[in-house]
Amino acid sequence: MERPVLTVRDASVGFERDSPLLIDVNLDLHPGEIIGVIGRSGIGKSTLLRTVAGLIAPISGKITAPTGRGEIGYIPQRLGLINYQTVGYNVMMGALPRAPLWQTLFSLPGIELRESARDAIDSVGLSDKVLDSISQLSGGQQQRVAIARSMVQQPTLLLADECLGELDSETAKEIIELIQKLAKEDNIAIMIVDHNPVRVATFCDRVLHVKGTRIEEVDV
Amino acid sequence: MNILQLLKKRPSLIVYSGIAILAVLISNKLGITIDNLGQAWGNAGILWSEMFPPDFSVVTERASWTQTECTWSADWACSAGIHGLLETIEIAFLATLFGMLLSLPLSMMAAHNLSPIWLSTITRNVLAGLRVLPSLVWALIFVIMFGPGPLAGVLAMTLYTVGYLGKLQYEALEGVSRHPLEAARAMGLPRWQIARYFALPEASNAILSQILFMFEYNIRHGSVIGLVGAGGIGWYLNNYLGVFSRYDRALALIIVIYVAVVIIDQISLSIRHRFMDSETHAPRARWREIIPFFPQREV
Repeated sequence: MERPVLTVRDASVGFERDSPLLIDVNLDLHPGEIIGVIGRSGIGKSTLLRTVAGLIAPISGKITAPTGRGEIGYIPQRLGLINYQTVGYNVMMGALPRAPLWQTLFSLPGIELRESARDAIDSVGLSDKVLDSISQLSGGQQQRVAIARSMVQQPTLLLADECLGELDSETAKEIIELIQKLAKEDNIAIMIVDHNPVRVATFCDRVLHVKGTRIEEVDV
Repeated sequence: MNILQLLKKRPSLIVYSGIAILAVLISNKLGITIDNLGQAWGNAGILWSEMFPPDFSVVTERASWTQTECTWSADWACSAGIHGLLETIEIAFLATLFGMLLSLPLSMMAAHNLSPIWLSTITRNVLAGLRVLPSLVWALIFVIMFGPGPLAGVLAMTLYTVGYLGKLQYEALEGVSRHPLEAARAMGLPRWQIARYFALPEASNAILSQILFMFEYNIRHGSVIGLVGAGGIGWYLNNYLGVFSRYDRALALIIVIYVAVVIIDQISLSIRHRFMDSETHAPRARWREIIPFFPQREV
């Protein structure tokens, strides 16, 4: 088996040292694998994801995640899109970590980056929406934009926080197919937080259930 | 019902009475009395009679004593009113432009969500320092340094614009959602790219609206800084009120300023409306129509 992309050893996560949200977190995530994290609201799933993303320091323990530019892709709960910009702009942002400095200084991306953005937009089915603002799109379309941004970024580890949200089953299915494509075709390790255990079980290789302050693996 | 009972029933009366007594005491200390007001009323009558009717030759006749050279052949274009007003608008335009160019990077450095705490604290203090003095005092300083004229006005208003606009802008940048910024941070992007490509577009409509407001504000203040010789219509107004004592012409100039401010207010308001949703007052995605970021063109 390939070396894990992410390893978490005896980690405690949260905001206060005296009352961590999660303790003794241990997990390995391999390339191409999808891990689902489920549990009730406010229990610490998003905090775990933000800690893995390097946005919050763990209280204790060790987290080994990729550190290179653009190696971690993070889709926050509200997708983290720039609402007053276009679909094209948002997808192109995924190319920023790979773009040479001079291209980012003068806002002149090379042809290869532009083509990868166009391919990603085509593959999520938003070719006719390139110039639409994010605020003009439906929830499902916005989720596609976030996925397309990650496709362009080509991270080693993708962290998605409730990116399926309250989508209807048809749209959720389409987004899940895109996520699976990222894992299987691009060999990206994906950790996805969701509140729907039934849905998670249908497409994740492993499911972690947050109960109280502990995480345990459940059979899928 | 005696006073004590009344105060018990309406305790707010104690506060109101306290404020009224304080106002009377302060007025006495400052020498503001009914007698003074009566005297001023008499002077106002004299001023009024000399002001009316306003003399609108200030917008038709060529002024031979313009502060800067006027090369137009039409007399009205070189009148104190029109030449001065144009100069005020020009000063405001340059000050807003230079102020914006300087304040934008400073506001990114001052925003807590984009910069380390030490840098944002230093930058905020610099911006606060620029706001300590009003543009009129900056104008006085620059008139002493560079002599009377529009240069002093542009420099004075630029400094004030940097301080004021910088504060408005960093507040707008701090108001953007943390989610896009976190997505960018997780990507491992440097701070300047997060500010330039994520925070700035997200706050762009608010920033654009602030720039338009600042331009409008600078036109209004451009009339004031002329009073100390820093160019613009205020300089002509000062001369009519002081050296020439032509209050009828001064009144005509005040009316010119008023009309100009009302027109510019309306233009600015309608432009700002284009960037705001009339129902929700939320910014619309219009910034891209003005500044074409690359992906619109290229993808």
